[in-house]
Amino acid sequence: MRRIFLFPVAAILIFSFRLSAQDPTFQAVLDRNPVGQGEQFTLSFVLGNAGMGGGRNLQLPDLGKFHIMGGPNQSSNMQFINGAVSSSITYSYILQPKEIGKFTIGPASIEVNGTAYKSQPVTVEVVKSTSKPQSRGNDQPDISAEIGDNLFLRAVVDRSHVTQGEQINVVFKLYTRVSMSNYSPGKNPTLSGFWSEEIENPKNISLTTETVNGKQYRVGVIRRMALFPTQSGTLEISPFEVDAVVQVQSRRSRDPFDAFFRDPFGQSVNYAVKSDPIRIKTDPLPPGAPASFRGAVGRFTMTARVDKQTTKTNEPVSLKVTIAGTGNVKLLESPAIELPTDFEQYTPKVSDNISRTGDRISGSKSFEYLVIPRYPGKKTIKPVTFSFYDPGKRSYVTLSSSPIELTIEQGAAQLPSLISGGGKEGVQLLNQDIRFIKLTESSLVQKGRSSLISPLLVVLAFLPLGGLVGAFVYAKQKKADRLDDIGFRSRRAIKIARKGLRTAEDLLKKSSNDQKLAFYDEVTRSMWKYLGDRLGIPPAEMSIDRAITALSARSAPQDLLEKLRTLLESCEMARFAPSSTESIAMQKTYDDAKRVIMNLERTIKA
Amino acid sequence: MRILVVLTALVLSCFSLYAQAPDQLFLQGNEAYQKGLYAEAREAFERILSQGYESGPLYYNLGNTYYKSGLIALAVLNYERALRLLPGDDDVLHNLAIANLAITDKIETTPRLFLWDYWDALKDAMSTSAYTWLAYGFFASALICACVILLSSSFAIRKLMFVGALISGLLVLPSLGIALARNADQHRTDLAIITADIATIKNSPDDGSSDAFVLHAGVKVQITDRINQWLKVRLADGKVGWLNASSAEVI
Repeated sequence: MRRIFLFPVAAILIFSFRLSAQDPTFQAVLDRNPVGQGEQFTLSFVLGNAGMGGGRNLQLPDLGKFHIMGGPNQSSNMQFINGAVSSSITYSYILQPKEIGKFTIGPASIEVNGTAYKSQPVTVEVVKSTSKPQSRGNDQPDISAEIGDNLFLRAVVDRSHVTQGEQINVVFKLYTRVSMSNYSPGKNPTLSGFWSEEIENPKNISLTTETVNGKQYRVGVIRRMALFPTQSGTLEISPFEVDAVVQVQSRRSRDPFDAFFRDPFGQSVNYAVKSDPIRIKTDPLPPGAPASFRGAVGRFTMTARVDKQTTKTNEPVSLKVTIAGTGNVKLLESPAIELPTDFEQYTPKVSDNISRTGDRISGSKSFEYLVIPRYPGKKTIKPVTFSFYDPGKRSYVTLSSSPIELTIEQGAAQLPSLISGGGKEGVQLLNQDIRFIKLTESSLVQKGRSSLISPLLVVLAFLPLGGLVGAFVYAKQKKADRLDDIGFRSRRAIKIARKGLRTAEDLLKKSSNDQKLAFYDEVTRSMWKYLGDRLGIPPAEMSIDRAITALSARSAPQDLLEKLRTLLESCEMARFAPSSTESIAMQKTYDDAKRVIMNLERTIKA
Repeated sequence: MRILVVLTALVLSCFSLYAQAPDQLFLQGNEAYQKGLYAEAREAFERILSQGYESGPLYYNLGNTYYKSGLIALAVLNYERALRLLPGDDDVLHNLAIANLAITDKIETTPRLFLWDYWDALKDAMSTSAYTWLAYGFFASALICACVILLSSSFAIRKLMFVGALISGLLVLPSLGIALARNADQHRTDLAIITADIATIKNSPDDGSSDAFVLHAGVKVQITDRINQWLKVRLADGKVGWLNASSAEVI
């Protein structure tokens, strides 16, 4: 029983294997014919049943009458139909005819398992132009009237009044009551003033039903976007256009034949659907932004860490600042980091990771700073600060990391080049080394000893000072001695006598009674002073006799001495008996005194 | 007995090693320098300093050893010190110029009146003690002339001596003034050399203060004020800021 049942199964299997060993076929296929001038068409060569090896060495016929616009595009196809395996490989070329006419495309050849196969020649008819566009143009107004409010596109925003940088969700929904075989997005909305992020752009639309104005529509969300205004003011989301292919039943034709031969699913018509423009009012960010604010809006967290805490000089350290959260993640700018001054910093490496799941755009953006310490020591990177505006709290939030401590060890010794020339002077002195040390005389002294004042100097300074004082004292003493000296007095005697006689002469000229007396006084005094000084006789011991004796001892002539005695006596008399005095006598006395002194000066020696 | 002699000799040699005469150390340092043993030479020179002796040649030689060891800042410091004791010395000036080429910072000096250069040249023409002795010489000669005036009876000699005393007396004060100025220059404590590899100059004497600028080793600064461990410094180009005292050494 069982054996009987098995037989047909085996037979089918064997049969199917036999079928699979069919001969290969090679055919040329045109996608349409005739073709309008300037229109593109596809020429395909279909290789059937080539087996696992496939075809090799495809030789194209002459295609000189056509422009090759694309290809070869290779596609393979395998089918199991009722147990029969059929495979086919298609090589297709997109061609555009150059001129009008009938053209024959010659056979193409291909090698399968060493045997060459040729396709059949095909003939293409190129006509002036097709009548298609015209008929579509005629239909258009009717179609739009027909479709009317049965097909429209709506842009829905979740809010129309936001703060700059806050997220807005826009949903483009297609409402339809007509049967629509396909659609393709046409013109994208222009979104100037926004940073946009696609949330959803589905290939397959799931339809829901919605009732608008009492009519039931099938609704599909065809696009969902997140927008972040980058400037304030009124911003516009311009219309989004969708080209829909709509199946319409031509109702105006009453021709039963026509209706019969037409496509039972109706006619396919291209129809452009547009959404309405939407205005978004955007408020500027409130004032009072912190210094580290750089336009981040949303809610974020920040981490800052270095890849190693200890490093060596000239070895780079990577400082990674990661900001994660929801908001305008992509617009985040690198936070400023304050490095110790002897660090070298390079522009950060930025990477971002944006997640579109859910309603809100979230994600993280990381900034990797490569810093190179140049000098050893313990260094601190100041806390990294990052500020954002939280639209939920309506306030600015500043995040700040903890300071980052780095220990930098001395790396491979990088000896400073001893002379790094800089400027004119440097060039001039380049390759000159320092001069040699001083070998001779250390001339070492105790530190802190003053070179200004030495004890010797102090002693020596008093020497001339003492000398001066001594000289001064000596000179003064000498002067005093000289005043007492007889010789000195005698040298000066004539001078003093002359001075006294000159005074007497003045008195003589005045010739009043008082003056007369004074005249004789002066003459007497001068005479005595002269004799005293000249002869070295102290005033107490002075008398006429003493003077005469001294003078005669100095070999003065006798008559001169007599004359001196007479003069002195007459003067004494005149002083005590002034009545007898007269001008002539006075003149005589004066002349006598003068003459006596002059003669004495001339005669006496020393 | 013999052992005792050896022991005494050993002890004596130890003493002589530890308490070497500074002059001997100086020669020792020079020898090491000539052999290229800069570290040893440096040690010898530093020991002289630690014994409390100094001299221009010593600082100059020490500066050379620092330069050869690549410690430019200390070389500059010691050349500056040498220059104080040997003002205008050609070798010191040359080596200081070379060492200054090797420092990182190039400070533009503001030009000053040429009279100051004349004044410096005059000051550097002789050592302080030479100027002091010069002042003393003028002083003494003025006094001697005065003595002669007092003692001489010859009018011609007295006239000559008066002129001599006047000229000498007028020259005493300038030479004494230069000597004092030089002495003040030598004992200045307001000039320092940055010895740290890198010194951050702050805007105020406080670690948290913002950085004004950065100096590297070897730069000469003028100290204009001190608060605790902070020095207010002024650069030759007029920049002013606060520096931690640990990163600089007074010349």
